[in-house]
Amino acid sequence: MTHSYSLNDPLATTILVFASMSISFIALLLVYESLKSRVTRETQIYLSGEPEEVVKEASPSVGNLYWGFIKKFARSIFNTLINKVQTGSIHEWFSFISSWLGILILLAVLMSVLYLLAR
Amino acid sequence: MDVFQLLFASLVFPGLIFLTALSFLTQYIVRKLSARMQRRMGPKYVGPVGILQPVYDFLKLLRAKELVKTRYSMVRAAEISLLLGLSSLVASALLLPLNVFNIGSPYDFLVFFYMASIWPIIMIIVASLSMPGPYTSVGVSRLLSILTVSEPAFFTGLLVPVALASFDTKTPLMISTASSKVLGLWINPLTLPVMVLVTISLIVAIQSKLMLPPFNIPEAEQEIIAGYETEFSGPLLALAILLHDMDTVVSALAIVYLVLGGPAPFTHASVEGVLLLVVKYLVVITVATYVKNVFGRYRIDQALMALLKYGLMPAVVAGILGTVYLYF
Repeated sequence: MTHSYSLNDPLATTILVFASMSISFIALLLVYESLKSRVTRETQIYLSGEPEEVVKEASPSVGNLYWGFIKKFARSIFNTLINKVQTGSIHEWFSFISSWLGILILLAVLMSVLYLLAR
Repeated sequence: MDVFQLLFASLVFPGLIFLTALSFLTQYIVRKLSARMQRRMGPKYVGPVGILQPVYDFLKLLRAKELVKTRYSMVRAAEISLLLGLSSLVASALLLPLNVFNIGSPYDFLVFFYMASIWPIIMIIVASLSMPGPYTSVGVSRLLSILTVSEPAFFTGLLVPVALASFDTKTPLMISTASSKVLGLWINPLTLPVMVLVTISLIVAIQSKLMLPPFNIPEAEQEIIAGYETEFSGPLLALAILLHDMDTVVSALAIVYLVLGGPAPFTHASVEGVLLLVVKYLVVITVATYVKNVFGRYRIDQALMALLKYGLMPAVVAGILGTVYLYF
């Protein structure tokens, strides 16, 4: 058997190929529908152990926004704080916390005085 | 071509039945060769020497296994997409010289590539996105990244020999013309480097197109389960596996006919021609299986760089050399 290809119009070839695709699709669909298993089981969507609520809200939560900002844009500040506070020495931790507490107390006193004067 | 011929070509040879059977056989060969390369036995128990194992696996998934879905799954859309992918591959086979009936025209290579390469992969992506999940999304995004390089590489790799072989004929970019003349490009010392480059490019491109190692990062099982196929189960998984195997068959046949010349220097009608066709097909499948087993998996950045260097660049250089040969 030798191949003697007559020259078709490219458009005719395209139409023939798409007709063949349609025939194959119908045949495949019939075979598939007659043979396929009808047993189905519905499960929860798997989101790495997280509940579905994590993708339910349209906007991210405040906590996620905070950690997103810290991790993406303020990584160096975060690392500095970690290295300064979490050294394993309770003295350094107390020193850091008390320094901030001192500033906060000063601020509170200042705000109270300003409030009293303004009133 | 009358209606009966079209029906026969679409449903029997080289259409649905032939391609499905060849897909199962090819899956068996790949599994058996891979097993031998890894010192395993491979399929052994179903049918003589395990040759019916792929058929058994397919029927078990299709008829016995349950389909697991979530409330967000669009099962019917996934089924239709995968069936459309399969039927596009079946239709593309009609344009290969394997078809005993007469379908062909100038520029039919473009129709062939559209049906054999663009449709199936788009349908796989649509099917994956119809069964959504976090691993599916990651798998599809990686698949799309790989496709941006692998499809141009595969297209250019096939286009160059077809264009060179059919350039000075009345039938430019016609598959049957190119297939009958492409062997001359291997003999001509001026076009031999072009063909070598095209072959290197296609070896790399077919691995990535079929998502075989080292380009199987879209389905990296230790990291993202099965990537784009994670949410497929039961009958859907059977269709997805058949689509992958049929894609392998049509891609390999495209290389056999458009780069290696099909049965040339013999004809389809001769025993030598048929044997040579089978040998060439087996060589393509064996090379793809060998590369699959020799390499580990690349990361996505490594995969893209390797594809650019060894897939797309040789094809582009071959295209430039081919153009120089044709015009100067």
